[in-house]
Amino acid sequence: MNSRKNPSPKKRPVNLDLSSMQFPLPSLVSISHRVTGIILFVGLIFLLWAFDTSLSSPHGFEAVQDVLSGNALAKLVCWGLLSALGYHLVAGVRHLLMDAGYGETLEGGKRGAQIAVVCGAVIVILAGVWVW
Amino acid sequence: MSTLQVSMYRYNPETDDAPYMQEFQVDTQGRDLMVLNVIQMLKEQDSTLAYRRSCREGVCGSDGMNMNGKNGLSCVTALSEVVKNNRLVLRPLPGLPVVRDLVVDMGVFYKQYERIQPYLQNDQSTPSIERLQSPEERDKLDGLYECILCACCSTSCPSFWWNPDKFVGPAGLLQAYRFLADSRDTATTERLSGLDDPFSVFRCRGIMNCVNVCPKGLNPTRAIGKIRDMLLSNAT
Repeated sequence: MNSRKNPSPKKRPVNLDLSSMQFPLPSLVSISHRVTGIILFVGLIFLLWAFDTSLSSPHGFEAVQDVLSGNALAKLVCWGLLSALGYHLVAGVRHLLMDAGYGETLEGGKRGAQIAVVCGAVIVILAGVWVW
Repeated sequence: MSTLQVSMYRYNPETDDAPYMQEFQVDTQGRDLMVLNVIQMLKEQDSTLAYRRSCREGVCGSDGMNMNGKNGLSCVTALSEVVKNNRLVLRPLPGLPVVRDLVVDMGVFYKQYERIQPYLQNDQSTPSIERLQSPEERDKLDGLYECILCACCSTSCPSFWWNPDKFVGPAGLLQAYRFLADSRDTATTERLSGLDDPFSVFRCRGIMNCVNVCPKGLNPTRAIGKIRDMLLSNAT
């Protein structure tokens, strides 16, 4: 009688293929704010370790100084973390402003996201100039 | 170039183990049809296709779906608004269980709507005439009462995708604020205490996907901000 293959409502599929969806700029700014937060959380472990080493002895200070001035990878990590910090700061301030009621219209939200991206890009470039 | 390539999400629980995409070709004769018109033409090609529709003019809110990655009502969305490279991808509203093809189970969405008690509550004795409002008090309800519960907003919201049972979602919160803002409603304190937890309101991260898709041009993000302000000033 009943030839149903999949009668249970619990087995119903859900359309959540993120690659099929459009994400407007404000949502991308928000998710990248969170991603940079995680990057900072993990990256700070290495920075704190380097900080601790540099304070442990004059020898340690020179070792960290050498790595940061000579090693390209160390510079890249440093630049990456500075960029993440700068972007996270800008996007965070945007969230604070929105919580205070600024830029809560569709247009305002898009404008705020654009400003955050531009400011973030400027900080990324400045951080690169400073590191190298 | 009047042949439109349509890719349609198909799932029949009686015959399919998993959903798949079916390709269709539709001759639009160069007209800028509404997406719902195209779906009706697909239904003529394949009568097993299932979708919801009723008024076909953006009032009933039955035909919410994901068109080329963006939620909207297919009856009031013209092809020229969504079609790119002569291609249209139709998928059911994201995050809700699919009953069949484009038909989703809206149960969890309605449950959140029910939770915010979407009706006027007043503990004063019933007056002999209507409960009066000043024009200014009535103005506060504009942009709130127009919601048709099509679920386009809540199903575009990542916070609702991951916590549909705990986060009320933009549609429910817009209605929650509609009654919080109503001068005739006296249950403000009770309503706020029902929302005062880390999930119901505060899962909103203000990414405004809801505002971006609302077919009625409403702004749930602003309403959620207002509720947050009320929760903070009534802090317990």
